[in-house]
Amino acid sequence: MADTSDSRSGLGLLKDAFSLSGATGPLIGLLLLCAFLSVATDSFLSLRNFLNILDQITVLGILAVGMTFVILIGGIDLSVGSVLALSMMILGYLNVEAGLPMGIAIGGALLASALAGAVSGFMITVFAVPAFIATLAMMSIARGLASMITNGSQIIGFPAWFNMGAIMRYGGFITLTVAVMLVVFVAAWLFQRYRQEGRALYAIGGNPEVARLAGINVKRMTIMVYTACAALAGLGGIVLAARLDAVQPTIGIAYELDAIAAVVIGGTSLSGGTGGIVGTLIGVLIIGVLRNGLNLLSVSPFLQAVIIGLVIVLAVAAETFKRARR
Amino acid sequence: MKSAIKSLLAATALTAVAASAMAEDAVGVGIEKIGLAVPNLQADFFNQIKLGVENYAASLGIEVITVDAKGDTATQVSQVQDLLTQGIDAFIYIPAGAAAAAVPTRLARQEGIPVINVDREPEGEPGDTVIYGENVMSSYEVCSSIIERAGGSGKMVIIHGQRGTTPEVQRFEGCKMAIDENPGVELVDQQWTQMWSPDEGFSIGQNMIQAHPDLKMIFGQADGIAMGAAKAVQAAGLDDQIVVGGYDGDVAALESLARCDTPFVVTATQSTQAMGVLAVNSAIAVSKGASVPARQIPNAVLTDCENAQQFVDNHP
Repeated sequence: MADTSDSRSGLGLLKDAFSLSGATGPLIGLLLLCAFLSVATDSFLSLRNFLNILDQITVLGILAVGMTFVILIGGIDLSVGSVLALSMMILGYLNVEAGLPMGIAIGGALLASALAGAVSGFMITVFAVPAFIATLAMMSIARGLASMITNGSQIIGFPAWFNMGAIMRYGGFITLTVAVMLVVFVAAWLFQRYRQEGRALYAIGGNPEVARLAGINVKRMTIMVYTACAALAGLGGIVLAARLDAVQPTIGIAYELDAIAAVVIGGTSLSGGTGGIVGTLIGVLIIGVLRNGLNLLSVSPFLQAVIIGLVIVLAVAAETFKRARR
Repeated sequence: MKSAIKSLLAATALTAVAASAMAEDAVGVGIEKIGLAVPNLQADFFNQIKLGVENYAASLGIEVITVDAKGDTATQVSQVQDLLTQGIDAFIYIPAGAAAAAVPTRLARQEGIPVINVDREPEGEPGDTVIYGENVMSSYEVCSSIIERAGGSGKMVIIHGQRGTTPEVQRFEGCKMAIDENPGVELVDQQWTQMWSPDEGFSIGQNMIQAHPDLKMIFGQADGIAMGAAKAVQAAGLDDQIVVGGYDGDVAALESLARCDTPFVVTATQSTQAMGVLAVNSAIAVSKGASVPARQIPNAVLTDCENAQQFVDNHP
């Protein structure tokens, strides 16, 4: 209640600037979680551990940005984990097996991912296939294609600098892969807040028919959003390949569910139209901090799974409760 | 808050135990905290290794922190970072997935702590030692045994584990030796599972039986797969025609073997708990600067209806 009355104070202004609407609850949750872990463990509160957490959420963060846009327009994308795997296998094939330079391999991987998203978007808009089904189909297709590239085997043997991009901390602080994630977040936030198309996403999510009558090209925007989401999944795959220094077609199973969980914990409504990138960043941090903290507390792996499930339920229930009281 | 106090108490208790152990043994074991990264605790094989490590370490007063990657390589890299943050003195690493990531080993090397690989090791980045069950000879024995039970000839299929993993490759190599020795045996089909799981074994087995109604032998590269396939054989009512062989000596598999009432008749029991003990001992030795062999390969024991019960009572 204190945080609503002091809207003109510094905190209030800061909140305005970052458009925290709907994300104050998650932010408070994140701060409480950090405070608890700082007291309960002696290894949580350190620069090194903070940098580790950033490393650990890189892929999830990039995936969640794309998923935020999809969910904002009232859609869902179940194919991101598979598209990520497809991107990784294409990257590995072009770079290691075909011996092409990394730049071309990355371009090829991103292009193939974007294409997968465009196909999903096309199925949804032109053939009116429900997003759930269209992307479910793409999940299966992309996973199959990824496995076909090497007949199920892994690929290793990337150039040494590639893995260094995920390990070397430039200026003792930031790895190349974390930098990529931060750039993606900032770009997405600027797009959502200051571009007309970004605002249009909310309109589509609120009511696609009204958005169409208001002059928004809903079909084109929808295809673009699914294309962007898949391209980001592809980028996530490249980042993950750098982190693992290896690619395999079975990677990334159920990553779409993690991304959806992060977006929803961050306060974006599954029915579309409300929420945003800043909330998603907080949602991703909550998942990252929670997993890291449970490991630091040496909580048994079986109990960890239970706790993470409970937190998702709590976060969403709290948000729904808040909305109902309004 | 309560749990914070609890964990504080637990930590104090552990330190006390460790301290007393140090006091008793003039030299001490040299390490206080071991990090154990396992791919997937749903698989009994890894769970047995975990139990072996934890029980033995507890008897030495060493704390063990276990993390479970749930089959995901990326999760495992994150978990290893967290283990290192907690100041572990040695790292027992069972890589998740076929792309056994070299990154966790590199991270641990940066900290200068011993790395003990169990079951698999990443290409190009070996640990101080690797402990894995002997696969080739033992799977040769399993396949020879099912061929003998099937009368020395007929159609055979293999249901593999996760493609490209060390055990998958080596168990096929051993079984192929047995097949090649018996000209009457025809390998008519092979399929790969993703997770070494019973449900995959069941559905793949069912399809194979459908495709080859005169099938006589199935080799599942893990007990889970084999037991799933045996269920498919029972469902098809072909108990008298088909024999199934497995691998690993999981507790559930041994119990099933001891009952002698399914088409699943033989497996190779790995010394999983002993492997856990060996891993802890190796960690201690390496941290003291002693040399350990680059490869330590405990044998698996051919197990059927006759000797399964002794392993149920006391898993090696």
